[in-house]
Amino acid sequence: MAVAARKLTTETTSISSAQMPFVLQVTTLAWRSLVTMIRTPAAVLPAVLISVFFLLIYQGSFSEAATFLPGLGDNYLAFILPFSLISAALSGSSVVGQNIVRDIENGYFDKLLLTPVSRAALLLGPIIAGGVVLALQAAIVVVIGLLLGMETKTGVLGVLAVMGLSMLVGIGFGGFTVGVALRTGNAGATSGASFLFFPLSFLTAANVPLELLTGWIKTAATLNPITYVLEAMRSILRVGWDADIIAKGLIGCAVLFIFPYIFALMSLRSRTRRK
Amino acid sequence: MTNREISVENLTKYYGDVKAVDGISFKVPAGEIFGFLGPNGAGKSTAISVLTTLALPTGGKATVGGYDVVLQAQEVRRVAGVALQEIGLDPLMKSLELLVIQGQLFGANRKEARARAHELLEIVKLADVTDRPVGKYSGGMRRRLDLAMALVHEPEILFLDEPTTGLDPASRRDIWAEVRRLNTEKGMTIFLTTQYLEEADELADRIAIINGGKIAVEGQPEALKAGLGAESINLTFQDGDTAERARDILTTMVERTQVDRRTLRLYQANAANAIPNVVNRLNEVGLNPISLTLTQPTLDDVFLQVTGSNFAIETEEDSAPLAKPA
Repeated sequence: MAVAARKLTTETTSISSAQMPFVLQVTTLAWRSLVTMIRTPAAVLPAVLISVFFLLIYQGSFSEAATFLPGLGDNYLAFILPFSLISAALSGSSVVGQNIVRDIENGYFDKLLLTPVSRAALLLGPIIAGGVVLALQAAIVVVIGLLLGMETKTGVLGVLAVMGLSMLVGIGFGGFTVGVALRTGNAGATSGASFLFFPLSFLTAANVPLELLTGWIKTAATLNPITYVLEAMRSILRVGWDADIIAKGLIGCAVLFIFPYIFALMSLRSRTRRK
Repeated sequence: MTNREISVENLTKYYGDVKAVDGISFKVPAGEIFGFLGPNGAGKSTAISVLTTLALPTGGKATVGGYDVVLQAQEVRRVAGVALQEIGLDPLMKSLELLVIQGQLFGANRKEARARAHELLEIVKLADVTDRPVGKYSGGMRRRLDLAMALVHEPEILFLDEPTTGLDPASRRDIWAEVRRLNTEKGMTIFLTTQYLEEADELADRIAIINGGKIAVEGQPEALKAGLGAESINLTFQDGDTAERARDILTTMVERTQVDRRTLRLYQANAANAIPNVVNRLNEVGLNPISLTLTQPTLDDVFLQVTGSNFAIETEEDSAPLAKPA
């Protein structure tokens, strides 16, 4: 070993002491997170399976019955697909928090903290990787919907817009799981936190239009920002481009974005504040 | 520019009421291997996390390579290579991937980072297992990769927190050889913590013994051992009481005595010559030792001397004072 080592050191590659540009830091870390996400398919697949399951079950159970409900008509698939996308996005988004909590537990997060990399890049890398995973999930759900015979009023553009909205919801909620991951450094707490996806997705106008809900569930759905995102997605697929409804949907996304990220940034601060 | 030195002045680090590091001061000149020696919980890892910017000090001042660890943390991160006690490797990644990313995060382009990664994999003898996820590596391999990660940017100052804890003897010797090589060939300043006296003795130009957050003694290993002066005769009895009784009888025959559990140590210049008299005296009173050994002073003795308790025992059972210095 000594001989080999001696030979090598005479031709050592010098690493320039240039600072890595911020964008490259983010893409490098995003790529790294994506690699680990792909290598743990068990963490990614359930979200897709659950949402495809929802799609098939609701389509199978209600597509006939729905024709009797006002406001639903015969294209129930286009009504339920947004719900399926949202549930995939919400449950899939925990992959971001899981990715960070893994790094904290295996010590790699500390290793990254010891490099001169920007602390914000540590957060953005996994989030972008999570966004890519969410896009793939959404694509799978949409393709299955189209194979089942879903018709849309707005074509390819509408489908992309609907996927985009679900991704915004997923990335927003991902911020919440990131916050819990950073705050607790605990995998159990992080996956527990992602169960918030159940009330968030079901306390909406999940199965029937908002107008048909009554009582406490109507109140809950009215307060839940995801309801408005769902309405926007449904309107795009089933009616057309309605600026008002889409604007409300985007505001819903923004709300889902802002609060989790304030929480995530505060948690990043407390994790990287040198105690 | 960096001066390759570490300078610590009256550094403290409290966690609540616990004084993990309690006012330590020392200087490590450029190119020295400095051994920071102490039992579990002595404050070694805390000192490393402050010096490497992972934790902020409660008080005092520390510079690494001339950069202040509080005010110039980014510069410190650039000049320091760090291998923490807890290995920080993502088990799903492969060694080459981890090293390339590490190189890039320190400013290398992809090509440079790859070349450097391959060199390091040769050096730490992992070149033939780059396709295996790190999670499948043995403890020794992981430790070597972690060391390679710390070397990616050719740091001028290397921090190693218990680099051989939990390793088998062969892996430990590999790490020692590499540490020595980095020091002699690259002139790297190395700050090393260890709970193995043997390791500090083997590698360090100078050591400090830390105990209860304070530096108990500091100096060259040889000087510290020489400071103890005497060789010792070690007599182990069947129980501590017998050892104490033997001490009462023998105490006038030697320069100094010490009981550590069942073992009585008799310190005496030219100890070998004193053995016949000691054995005869024990025979007369009917106290028969189980074993008798003769030792040159070791760092173990230094530790015993400065902390008043046995190193190995303290490591296992925390800090119950088991020995009373004579």
